[in-house]
Order: sequence, then structure tokens, then C-alpha cells
Amino acid sequence: MVAGDVTLMQALKSSDTNPFGYPEPIWELFMHPPHLGEFPAGTPGVVTGEAGSKAARSVLRLQLRFEDGRVAETRFRAYGCPNSIAVGGWIAQWSRGKRREELAALKAAELRQALEIPDDRAHCALLGEDALRAALAHIG
Amino acid sequence: MIYLDYAATTPLDPAVLQAMLPHLSGDGTFANPASSHGPGYKARAAVEKARAQVAALLGAEAAEIVWTSGATESNNLAIKGALEFRGVRHAHIVTSRTEHKCVLDTCRHLETQGVRVSYLKPGPEGVVSPEAVLEALTPDTVLVSLMWVNNEIGTVQEVARLAPLLRERGVLFHVDAVQAAGKLPVDLRQVPIDLLSVSAHKIYGPKGVGALYVRRKPRARLAPQMHGGGHEWGMRSGTLATHQIAGMGAAFELAGTRLAEDAQRLAGLRDLLWTRLQALPRILRNGAPERAAPHVLNVSFEGVEGEALRASLPELAVSSGSACSSATAEPSYVLRALGRDDELANASLRFSLGRGTTAGQIEQAAALVVQQVQWLREMSPLCKP
Repeated sequence: MVAGDVTLMQALKSSDTNPFGYPEPIWELFMHPPHLGEFPAGTPGVVTGEAGSKAARSVLRLQLRFEDGRVAETRFRAYGCPNSIAVGGWIAQWSRGKRREELAALKAAELRQALEIPDDRAHCALLGEDALRAALAHIG
Repeated sequence: MIYLDYAATTPLDPAVLQAMLPHLSGDGTFANPASSHGPGYKARAAVEKARAQVAALLGAEAAEIVWTSGATESNNLAIKGALEFRGVRHAHIVTSRTEHKCVLDTCRHLETQGVRVSYLKPGPEGVVSPEAVLEALTPDTVLVSLMWVNNEIGTVQEVARLAPLLRERGVLFHVDAVQAAGKLPVDLRQVPIDLLSVSAHKIYGPKGVGALYVRRKPRARLAPQMHGGGHEWGMRSGTLATHQIAGMGAAFELAGTRLAEDAQRLAGLRDLLWTRLQALPRILRNGAPERAAPHVLNVSFEGVEGEALRASLPELAVSSGSACSSATAEPSYVLRALGRDDELANASLRFSLGRGTTAGQIEQAAALVVQQVQWLREMSPLCKP
């Protein structure tokens, strides 16, 4: 085996067993986060929102691309614990096809329920709500 | 799963298991080693054989080995025992901030009894200089307690140079040698340490048994912490666990025969791991490379969050500091004592290697870590795309 052996990497990856006991929705979105990344600069219809801080060890940046008043695609980048990363992935999936008013109605409590975020990580759900609000603030 | 947490514990060597089994069955030497009859004497003989085996690895006399339940008890007995024997009034201890929790917590307990404790700050590479220890001594200093090899960063302390300096000054010297015994040559005929703690399960012996070396000449005196039947020369009462003790003896004998070979092989694998990890920019090795024990490599990864780093490596059994059961562990107090900030201390991994570690495992582990650190960095909005 040498560094970069794809077959072995896949074999090892397939044995993911969530040894740390994260809630399953968080584990799945953390290990296989959907919609990671950013839109190329200048992409039309994109609004960006960011929340958190490096000092707090969690930063979430959301980019929502609107077409005809609805979200066509959301991308995210995150620095933080698996909960924070899962929140980014969940919002990216959930936001697709939604209008501004529907997006603005998202509350941290809904995120917590959907992802089974425990009490001591409630701030990760707030991170998601804050990043989404920051993005929506750019819409006139 | 790739197990790289041998500093936390090791699997039982098959030969050790075989040495233990006869003492667990009805037709074996199950008897109480303190009993005055034939089976008791046989059990006693097994205990004494093991005592000699443990002593041999340390360059000690058999009568200087006191059985305990493990290194935590050994450290408690050494430190509390020495202080209580001398009397805690106006007593002073010198130790360091990077000791194992069982030493630090024992010292803190003694502080509540009126003992003064100096917690020395190591240099940025984790070394506590003998000169710094000497400077901290006061006329009331009863004991210096330092570990031989740090369990988190693998740094080998200068205990061999410090020991005679403390002997000259009449200060007792306790050394936690849990990560040194069986990994580095330890010869107490040459190094005048007074009290030395060891554990079985760090070198392929069973959990639940350890020992404290208590020097006879000059005699280190301890107040017992466990009162009862006066076992172990009155220093540690309680029926001896013959099977555990026989296992520890076998493990220590085996470690002696394999020491040089194991140390050379593990140092080579440790260096291979470090070489491979350096494919990543912005990583830092913790501890002094020129004073590194063969089996430990501790690395900090900039630009990633620690919990996500650990969680992203479910295929690896590694620690973020000392043994911890959760990805959400607090940043290591050892790394913070070395001057790492909380974020970097948290984004650190301790890889510890053992007899089961192969070059193939090291290659796989390094490739996984490199891949996952790159993935987390690319994901981070704090890193440029």
C-alpha cells in the first residue's frame, strides 16, 4: 500500500461506523457533505452570508444562487465541528427551490430537530440560522 | 481499523496470556500467595518470579518492587506516601505542568493538606531542564516528581542527569516511567532514582496491575495508602493478584528481550510517519525531535478544527492527547503548557506505535490523515479556495 491507494481508501471509508456516536443525520452529512464549495466570482444571482468566528472555532459561509425568485442552488464552506458542517449541508439541501420568505422562516429549533443536534451543540444550529439571515440581508 | 494508540494501552501478548492462565484455574496456582500451605507457596513462588522479572528490566532488586493496581496507584503511593511519611507540614514538591493527570491531581490533593507545589513550565519542546528543577528547590522540598517519557508528546526528560543532582541534595526523586519501561533502557543501578512507577498494560501485559520501585539503599520510606494485612512490606496491603502479577512479569521479561529491536523498528516507523505527514504544509511536530521516545509522534495541524479532524478519521484509533473516549475532548493541557494556543492544541493528534504496527499501516494512516486534512482545509471558508 502506498499513499493514495484509492481502492484501500474506499474500503476503509466504507467501514465508517460513527465510532464517536454522533446523531446519524449529522454523521451522514459530515462524512458526505452535499453542495460543498463556492460559486465562481461574478456568478449572477448569488448572495453570500457568513456567521461565526475563528475564535469560536466555527465559521459557516452560505452562498445562495437565485433564479426567478427561488433558490436554484446553495453552496457552503465550513470550519468547525461535525455539527457545524452538517448544518451547512442540511441548509444547502433544504433551501433548494425556496423563496426568500420561506428561507427567512427557518429557525434554529427546526435545524436542531432535523439534525438531532444535542443541547450542548445548540449554538451550531444558531450558526446556520445566522448565516442564512446574513445572506438574505443582501436581497433588496 | 488502524490502531495507533499503543501509548494508551497495548494488547496482551499471547505469551503473557499463557503465563497468566495457570493461575486462574482450579487445578492451577489459584491459592492465596500469602497462605501457608503448598498451593499458597506455589502461588507465592509465581509472584516472586514475576517480581524478579520486573526488577530485572529496571536494574533493580526484587525486594524493591511493590505491586500495585497500576501506575495511577503507584504514583499516588509514591507521592502521598513520601509526603505523609515525612509529614506534610511545611513540605514542598517540585513537579511539572506536563505530568500525567494522576500526578498533578495527587499534588493538588496534597495542596489541600497544606503542601506547597511548584509546577514547572517546560520549554517549548516539552523539556524540563535539570537546572530549572534545581532552581525550584527550597529547604522544604521533600520530593521531585517528573515523568521519564511524556505520554502525549514522547519527549524524554533528562532524568538520568537530574537524579544524581537531587541525590547530592538529599531530595527524593520520583519518576513516572510508564512510557519509558520497556521502551528505553532503564537501569536503576546507574541512575539514583528513589521511586519509580511502572505499569503492565503499556507493554503488552494485563490491565489492572503495576508496580512501584522503592529504593532500599538509601531507603525510600513511604506511609502506606492502603491499610490491611501488611502485604508488600506493609507498603500496600491487599491479596496479591497472582495471575495479573505473573502476566506483568512475563511482559517485562519479554520487553527486556525485545527492547533494542522494538525501539529501533518503532523509531524507524515513527520517522516514516513524520516524513509522510510532511506532504502537508502547515503542520507542527510537538516535542523535541532529538529527545523523542521511539513510539510517539504528536502533530498539530493548522487550519482544521480539532473535533472535525478526529471525527474525519474513524478508521484510525489515535488520541488527541492522552487517552480520551470522545472526539469532543478538551484541548490537551500538555500542548497548552508548551505554548500552543487552544485551537492548535485541539487540532493535534498523538500517534503511538507498537509491536503490531507495520510500515503498511503507517503508509495507510499517513495517506488518510493527509487526505482528510486537505479535505477539511478545502472546506474551510478561512482557507483560500
